[in-house]
Amino acid sequence: MALPRLVPRSTVDPAGTEELRHEVRQFLAEQLAAGRFTPSVDAWLCGWDEEFTAALAARGWLGMTVPAEYGGHGRSFVERFAVTEELLAAGAPVAAHWIADRQIVPSLLKYGTEFQRSEFLPKIVRGECFFGIGMSEPDSGSDLASVRTKAETVDGGWALTGTKVWTSGAHLAHAFIALARTEPVDPGHRHTGLSQFIVDLRGSGVEIRPIVSMNGAHHFNEVLLDGAFVPDTMVFGEIGQGWQQVTSELAFERSGPERFLSTFVLLDACAETMGYQQLSRSTDLGRLVARVAGLHQMSSAVAGALERHEPADVPAAVVKILGTTTEGDIAEFAHLAGEHTAGQRFTDLVATALDQRPGFTLRGGTNEVLRGVIARGLGLR
Amino acid sequence: MNAPEVEPALADMMDAVLAETRASRSPRVPARRDPELWRRLDELGLVRLTGDERSGGSGAGWYEAAALQAAAVRHGIRIPLAEHDLLACWLLESAGLAVDGAVRTVCLLDGHGHAAGVPWASGAERVVVVWQVAGEYLVADAAAEHLDITPGTNMIGEPRDAVVADRASLSGVPVPTDRIAQLRLKCALVRSIQVCAAMDEALALSLDHVTSREQFGRPLSRFQAVQHLISDIAAEAALARSATEAALSAAVSSDWSAPHLEFLVAAARSCTGHAATVVVRNTHQVHGAIGTTNEHRLHEFTRAALAWRSEFGSVKYWDDRVTDMALQAGANGLWSLISP
Repeated sequence: MALPRLVPRSTVDPAGTEELRHEVRQFLAEQLAAGRFTPSVDAWLCGWDEEFTAALAARGWLGMTVPAEYGGHGRSFVERFAVTEELLAAGAPVAAHWIADRQIVPSLLKYGTEFQRSEFLPKIVRGECFFGIGMSEPDSGSDLASVRTKAETVDGGWALTGTKVWTSGAHLAHAFIALARTEPVDPGHRHTGLSQFIVDLRGSGVEIRPIVSMNGAHHFNEVLLDGAFVPDTMVFGEIGQGWQQVTSELAFERSGPERFLSTFVLLDACAETMGYQQLSRSTDLGRLVARVAGLHQMSSAVAGALERHEPADVPAAVVKILGTTTEGDIAEFAHLAGEHTAGQRFTDLVATALDQRPGFTLRGGTNEVLRGVIARGLGLR
Repeated sequence: MNAPEVEPALADMMDAVLAETRASRSPRVPARRDPELWRRLDELGLVRLTGDERSGGSGAGWYEAAALQAAAVRHGIRIPLAEHDLLACWLLESAGLAVDGAVRTVCLLDGHGHAAGVPWASGAERVVVVWQVAGEYLVADAAAEHLDITPGTNMIGEPRDAVVADRASLSGVPVPTDRIAQLRLKCALVRSIQVCAAMDEALALSLDHVTSREQFGRPLSRFQAVQHLISDIAAEAALARSATEAALSAAVSSDWSAPHLEFLVAAARSCTGHAATVVVRNTHQVHGAIGTTNEHRLHEFTRAALAWRSEFGSVKYWDDRVTDMALQAGANGLWSLISP
């Protein structure tokens, strides 16, 4: 008989979110017409716009899956998927709330204490609290278990010491969840002794230094923790369970539409420019559009699996490898084809896409690591 | 492409009968329809699986037909079940013409009464011929002996014949233009389903091979470079399958009338065609030289995937169709093409 499926069959009925999608499209058209945003490449990393975030919150499109008791909207994960897909396809500036909305909400719902949920969820839903990710370190990239940031018990809580890097938006965000060692490394069990802490990025003992990207833009930061105090109430999940907590949420981070739509506005611009014959006709356009369409189907299927609380690490890895490669291929196609006649806006979008491209296949787990995840899923390791 | 909609007992029965056939005889090249197997499948109600029960069909749907296609591909059985049931007999039924027990295929004539690459015409008893007169499509159920059929084959030896018809001698029944558009989409999607099944099987063979073959003192599967080749095979095959299933679901739920179905089918054919590039290259690479032999079964899937991805429109043709649709979508319109 046939092999088991690597990616679940899509069970999401597109008709179920059609009306919601049209509401979001209408909203985006109004925002565009009012000049509230300029569609841009990789806007979920680079497009920090707190006013736009507030406008989304006013429509009920932040923290959609948060239950009403925490000020949320009790919508389904599939509905959230539809809204985020629409926002990303339009290149809308969603970076301010992105991390909080994408992964802090499901993490808080799964591991947060009652106090933490009441403290953060209502503010996230209102678009008033932004988060960063505190995982990577200077010597800890793909090999996350090698983090060296230490958390030591002090009176009333913990003191964190170490350095986190690639923290998007740390200079603007309110908090991040740091992964730290609470026990020395046991070489036989590297994944034990790790814990998570909610760290106030404006607190004492926290210093934030910019890491300027190669095109001069500033999204990333280095966060130096020098005995930063975290009260016991801000221990996230269980002490010693950090690894399980971090890895159990990876499917949310890896399978979403931001893994194949980061350059969609450029693909749209290619179609428009080719339509005006300012770009030579190429069937590569169709090839890339078809691929994005396939990824849309696949990513929707994973959203359905996540809604049913099925494990989805392997299908999420499939979406991310194919999707992030395609995002880069779109940049490459546009650059290979682009002439000066295509105009300044087109040229600018291409340049941004080329500059952002190396990050696509790195962030959230490199494609090489993810190929290993798939190989494990297939029983090869 | 086993859909959950298909009864496991039915899927098992399909698989068992085709597995047994395969075990009892080696495939012939060039492929010829096996009358004994045809009779057996007919007795089991699989030959006209989706046909109307009032005219001898089994009244099943495309999900069951896709499962049957996949099972035939998995066991390397070349047989014109799709051409007969999903294309020819469907078209006859929908044109209000009688369907009997004859083995059929379908053929779209050009303006000169010619058709090239007609699947399985040389083994068919009757050919459902489609042609256009003054902007209107006509359909006739022609006896094979009344057509001029010059045998040809595709790269895996399946009949792909040149057909010339004397249209004046055929009495055609008019069918609406959109019916013929549906026929073209059905033809295209059949091949997509077959290529997906072939790619899944090539992946399965590759997994078997790399876990059992040892070099440098360990199984090939222990080498990261090999794991990465395999991961890419699996990822591409999964993408092709997602795109194909999306088209199939939209087709079934709308009875082939969804306005965006042409886009979904074209996207599926594009994804499937390009997936085959990676799947064929990498499955052969991990198999080494043994995979290039007649003795090893890999070619039953890799060569088939290559043959089928080029039928009812080349990969370039489908890329071109998606390109057309993207250009027609206009400024800021591309996303509503993908997600209407």
